Amino acid sequence: MGLESLIGGEGFLTTTVNSIVNWGRKNALWPMPFGTACCAIEMMATFSGRYDISRFGAEVVRFSPRQADLLIVSGRISLKMMPVLQKIYRQMPEPKWVISMGACASCGGVFDTYTLIQGVDQFMPVDVYVPGCPPRPESLLDALAEIQKIVGEDRFDSGKHGS
Amino acid sequence: MTPESMAVDMADTYSPCDALPAPLRSQVIDQIVHQGQLALHCTSADQRPMLEHFKTQQGYDFLVDVTAIDHLGMDRTERFEVVYVLRRTRENSHQFRLHVWLSEDSPNLPTVFDLWDSARWGERETHDMFGIVFDGNPDLRRLLMPEDYPGFPLLKDYPLRGMGERRQFPNVVPRGDQIVEEEPGDYPTSIGRGMHTPEYTEEVRRDSKPR
Repeated sequence: MGLESLIGGEGFLTTTVNSIVNWGRKNALWPMPFGTACCAIEMMATFSGRYDISRFGAEVVRFSPRQADLLIVSGRISLKMMPVLQKIYRQMPEPKWVISMGACASCGGVFDTYTLIQGVDQFMPVDVYVPGCPPRPESLLDALAEIQKIVGEDRFDSGKHGS
Repeated sequence: MTPESMAVDMADTYSPCDALPAPLRSQVIDQIVHQGQLALHCTSADQRPMLEHFKTQQGYDFLVDVTAIDHLGMDRTERFEVVYVLRRTRENSHQFRLHVWLSEDSPNLPTVFDLWDSARWGERETHDMFGIVFDGNPDLRRLLMPEDYPGFPLLKDYPLRGMGERRQFPNVVPRGDQIVEEEPGDYPTSIGRGMHTPEYTEEVRRDSKPR
């Protein structure tokens, strides 16, 4: 965004463009589900009619990382799965955000064993953690609201997201 | 006598050991019935002839599973037992286990994938978890663990939390307009703060004390 960097500072135009872009981004998140365990069941429930994540503007679930901007890691990540998850994260276009859903994705949960990654945030960035084993759909909706808060406060000319 | 009760009686008394030729039968070390399940024990030298006999002469047409037991620290002559679960699915259906005693010094057994195709994956898994080598198996890659995994995790002397394999990945982080790989930093919840450490147990005990 060359224009804003030329203007610099907190000009009227910059803040307005920022807020409009952020408003658009945060109400049209395209989640990429990475469901590997029981958290995925709760995630599916969140996507479906009863809890209905589309009320919050994140209903276009994409199974291709190229088309998504919100990665939801829901479930245990094993040694064999971690390179796959990293690859998928790198395949997502900027800007992108990550939710680590459930105890296993966040810290390994009860599976403190040789094959399980003790928290995906060791090896990739995570924006919001969802506690629970598995978390209820309301928790995931709350995490989505947190992500929207983060997106809303973001400055797209900050250089953080490759702009 | 109804056919059903005959079948029950047969399951109780029948042993494929009785139909073995005399030289093989004398090699059966032990014959144990526990919970109605029969287990024959033999040494690794007799594994292949016995399994061939059960397949070709007695009609055990289905190898249910190949697995192993690690008897490290137990009062045993050999460290390993490789277990074959055999099943006859046609007439006189029957199932039993063959336990093959295997020493730690040479954990090798001839493959049986030419007798039962299901041995391919069973032997791969047993190799993956216990490091037992099945000579002649053409595709003895790891089945469950990553192919570059160094250890054999179901051995009794392998630590539960591995030997650092969980920390082998780079940290993928965005820096400016590109994504770079960095060394992962210290991670307090997995190092020294795992759920099964003595410190954690002590902490839980202290917290759960009535005040």
